Amino acid sequence: MKKMIAMILVGGRGTRLGDITKTIAKPAVSFGAKYRLIDFTLSNISNSNISTIGIVTQYEPFELMNYIGSGASWDLDYVDGGVRFLTPYSQSEDVLWQKGTAHAIKQYFRFIRDHSPDYALILSGDHIYKMDYNLMLKTHIEKNADFTIAATKVPFKEASRFGILEVDSEGNLKSFQEKPEHPKTNLASMGIYIFSIKVLEDLFFNGDQVDLIDFGKDIIPHCLNKKRDIAVHVFEDYWRDVGTIKSLYEANMDLLEDNHFLGLNSSKDLPIFSKSLNLSPHMILDSGSVKSSVIADGSIIAGTVIHSSIAYKTSIGIDSIIEDCVVLPNVTIGKNVYLKKVIVNQDLVIPDNYYLKAEEVTLITDKNLLEVGEIK
Amino acid sequence: MKDLFLVVDATSRGNFEKLTRHRVPGAIPFGGKYRLIDFTLSNCKNSGINNVAIFPYGNYRSLSDHIGSGDRWDLSRRHDGVFILPPKNLSLTVENEISFQRMYEHIEYFYRSNQEYVIITSANMVWNINYYDFLEEHLANESDLTEVLSDVRKVLKTYIISKKKLIEYIENYDQIAFRNLSDVFDYAPGIKKHTIIINTFSYNINSSSELYEANMQILLPWVRKQIFLDSRPIYSKETMSAPSRYGDFATVKNSIIASGAVIEGEVTNSIIGRKVKIQYGAKVTDSIIMNQSIIESDSVVEYAIFDKETRVLKGSIVTGEEDNIYVSEKKQIVTTHQKLAILQVASECYPYIKTGGLADVVGSLAEEYSDMGKKSQVILPLYPHIKEKYDLLLELKVSNSIFYGNKNYKINLYSIVNTNTVYYFVESYDFFERDKVYGYEDDGDRFAFFSLAVVSFLDAIDEYPDIIHLHDWHVGLLPLILKNRQRPIKTLMTIHNIEYQGVYDIDILTKLQIENPVQYTRLSKINFIEIGLNHATKISTVSETYKDELRYEYYSKNLVEIINKRFRDFYGILNGLSEDVNPKNDLEIAMKYNLVNVFSAKKINKLDMQKKLNIIRGEQYFVIGMVTRIVEQKGFDIILPALHQMLENPLVEFVILGTGDEVYLEQLKQLKSRFSDRVSLNLEYDATKPQYIYAGADSFLMPSRYEPCGIGQMIALKYGTIPIVRQTGGLNDTIDNYDTSSKRGNGFKFFNYDTRDLLFQLNNAFNIYINSPDDWRQLIINAMNSRFSLADSAKKYLDLYQNI
Repeated sequence: MKKMIAMILVGGRGTRLGDITKTIAKPAVSFGAKYRLIDFTLSNISNSNISTIGIVTQYEPFELMNYIGSGASWDLDYVDGGVRFLTPYSQSEDVLWQKGTAHAIKQYFRFIRDHSPDYALILSGDHIYKMDYNLMLKTHIEKNADFTIAATKVPFKEASRFGILEVDSEGNLKSFQEKPEHPKTNLASMGIYIFSIKVLEDLFFNGDQVDLIDFGKDIIPHCLNKKRDIAVHVFEDYWRDVGTIKSLYEANMDLLEDNHFLGLNSSKDLPIFSKSLNLSPHMILDSGSVKSSVIADGSIIAGTVIHSSIAYKTSIGIDSIIEDCVVLPNVTIGKNVYLKKVIVNQDLVIPDNYYLKAEEVTLITDKNLLEVGEIK
Repeated sequence: MKDLFLVVDATSRGNFEKLTRHRVPGAIPFGGKYRLIDFTLSNCKNSGINNVAIFPYGNYRSLSDHIGSGDRWDLSRRHDGVFILPPKNLSLTVENEISFQRMYEHIEYFYRSNQEYVIITSANMVWNINYYDFLEEHLANESDLTEVLSDVRKVLKTYIISKKKLIEYIENYDQIAFRNLSDVFDYAPGIKKHTIIINTFSYNINSSSELYEANMQILLPWVRKQIFLDSRPIYSKETMSAPSRYGDFATVKNSIIASGAVIEGEVTNSIIGRKVKIQYGAKVTDSIIMNQSIIESDSVVEYAIFDKETRVLKGSIVTGEEDNIYVSEKKQIVTTHQKLAILQVASECYPYIKTGGLADVVGSLAEEYSDMGKKSQVILPLYPHIKEKYDLLLELKVSNSIFYGNKNYKINLYSIVNTNTVYYFVESYDFFERDKVYGYEDDGDRFAFFSLAVVSFLDAIDEYPDIIHLHDWHVGLLPLILKNRQRPIKTLMTIHNIEYQGVYDIDILTKLQIENPVQYTRLSKINFIEIGLNHATKISTVSETYKDELRYEYYSKNLVEIINKRFRDFYGILNGLSEDVNPKNDLEIAMKYNLVNVFSAKKINKLDMQKKLNIIRGEQYFVIGMVTRIVEQKGFDIILPALHQMLENPLVEFVILGTGDEVYLEQLKQLKSRFSDRVSLNLEYDATKPQYIYAGADSFLMPSRYEPCGIGQMIALKYGTIPIVRQTGGLNDTIDNYDTSSKRGNGFKFFNYDTRDLLFQLNNAFNIYINSPDDWRQLIINAMNSRFSLADSAKKYLDLYQNI
């Protein structure tokens, strides 16, 4: 059997998520009440039976490392391989700071080489989807490609947020535009690549002396130029890149709307794992009421929750109404609070009688709490 | 912090009904996402203990599956860790508390543990404590043995002792008078004892009703505050499930909901486990729903415990009562309104024909089934006695003729309808026109013929049965005949007493036209009950403990293999007592009574009985009563020597009613001649009027060697007469040993079948009677409040029928 190694790039700052990522890396951001974004990628890896995983970190890796630990929660604590964190380190005088996605992989190429895989799967840790990477590998092998890009259709109006692919009749890449103002198609790169190891090695060490920093900006155009065989694996199920406050909110709402969202509530195949935090089950008190919502462990609800996602260890006081909201973990909401269309940042304490009825999705944090809302 | 290790006592089976069919109590789910053992193991982790031994009694697979390597509780260590130490000696029956003998089987573990002190605690504890606090107090008081009691002084079966002392007891288990640490604590002289009374919530769960109560308690804020502490979390096996999802019409009040649940209906005052689905329109109140159960739309659930993966069908109504919780079995499909046609087949049935307890059971179950809206039918042979007495009521349904051997026999089917139950009678001149019910050389032929006749009448009875319930060996061949005649009807075979098996010549099978008879036996004889056990869809016996005991050759003798082979289809359902048996409307006793006047009435009844039986009269005497067949099974080999010693105490009297084996009657007469004014023998068994003994005696002696179910102890309880029993069969399931600290228990029981242990409990009862009248009154109240009703057994049988 051919062996595939997974490399997860979690280096991005995720600045568009505002204060949510101020102290934690983007993949550690809470989603769907009890998950973190990284759960989806790690679960996909686990369900695809990949046993060697390098996690390339850079900003605020502490919470993420702490969360992932040995990877046992995702059944990834293999004796050979398993989950390894690849953090910036200094070599001679220089600190090896990663300049871009491809550069990061290049830096840790020794790690890849040590495990002598046949393929490398390059992933990012902040997408919500459920995918069997073996199907993508199958495409890669069938098309005898140098590398394969996973792509999915996105709405045209959002296409300019993504790298847009144009595919020829045989399903191979014809052209690529990174975040174009006027996209030719709506087929977006998911930022997932499978490389045959030899190809990657050639690109990094034996190729032209071009500095290949980023997969999207450098590698793909370079390979198109050199007429390399680039296959496109089209993925047709749910996929979201939650790079912004708005998209994070919308993905949470998607989960509320769809009873069968990624099959989370059925015990069928390909489960999404997450790390258990040893919390007691949540409790709805006599004064509490919950409709059209999801609630995670450790929460105590004395108020009313409508159409909201309530993460773990949240307490909601009596007479409070939480509507169309995403409440991140460990939030304390006082009595007689009204919140609508709000993302509540984690660890926030919302005082009694606080009122915020937002028109547009609004993130509240300890900084802007009293700017965006008021105490009535 | 390396000086403490923990012994977890999971040896007691408790009374969890169906919940422990597939697991030991420690593995029972609790509080939505936990298992009972999580609390003990988390306390270990939080206390920094990393050497733990668990002593389970039986099927501990689910426990070891849950615990795994123990890494969840930091118990997967290079040295020490968590050890599951199964029983080596399977012939030991289940006890209520871990014995020194049980620990001796793994004495190596104790030698190897290098901690100086040990805590012994129950696997079924719900609490959040630091074991080192106990050790500190134990040391501060320079105690030899410290017992931990709950805030309301309930027994928690938790002790602290030094390893050295414990090993002394274990090594000498066969030399000392104490079976376990609570014996030592209560009776051992010359050691320094200390009692710790804790001040936080604790619950030692030993029955399904206690499981229910403890679950309901964690709905209380103050309890949650003491159990779920941020500083000392309760750890459980990691599982994956989504957050709980609430639908647009969900209504949830005062409930705990574990992750992965999907709530679309109404939930009130309930504990909902992981991945439970409550569909739209379903209403769940005051219930505990364990993992992955599905409550389909428009159903109603009240006062229930549903084991994992129970499914309540659409529109069903499943309601228990506050003091009688409905309990489902794992993966059970639950429904109401199910039409069910039942046919009970037996050799006797009250009120038509009765030679023993079997008739009562069959007759009362039949009536209960009708009351519960099921089609209840019973079929019996038509004995001349019935023909005479019920001549006018018997209605001829159909005539038929069948071949048995090479002869053609005419048979008639009669019926009597009594309220809603239909009783059928098979008439055959050749086989049933006889004076007695049993006792003929051709009994084998008679009852083989009866079974064949029943099968031939299946199309003639009112409603073709969904289930045929077979009682005892007489109808043991019926499942085989059904198979042979291609009648795929489900059958339940109940063993009332395995001593009676029906061994007859193999050509009976030939006469039944069953081909190749030798495949059904290894001998030249056939065994009716063995064939029944082999071919019935499910099998059962009349108490949970007897069911377990039958796994051992000591109890099931030649049938041990077949019992073990069929163990997964083997159920234990306790017989109940008719509501009619009650001192409050008993005309045969001097003074009728109930809980209100029992204390004065018992005295009057005692004096009346003493007068009637001509023994010394006086309230102060401690009267031991027996109503029994006087045979070896009932324990006379240990009773007689024990009574000789006991009666040396001038305040003890003994009365017995019954008849039986000459050898024991003779010994009883010797006893009488030795203590003539304090012993009364009534050896002409008049079963219709034993009540004056039940009403007049203080305690009821029943130390049977084995006892499938037993009825005497249940009657005694009803009459407030305290049973002293051996811990076996139905006696074990009905009697709880009285505990002076918690004031719980309804009698006295002992384990070893020997005179010393019996005498110990007799003296114990006597001492409580004389020295702590308050305790004795509490015992009477507990006894009279015990409830073993026929309606309950009928419900359990119905559940089982529907489950087949």
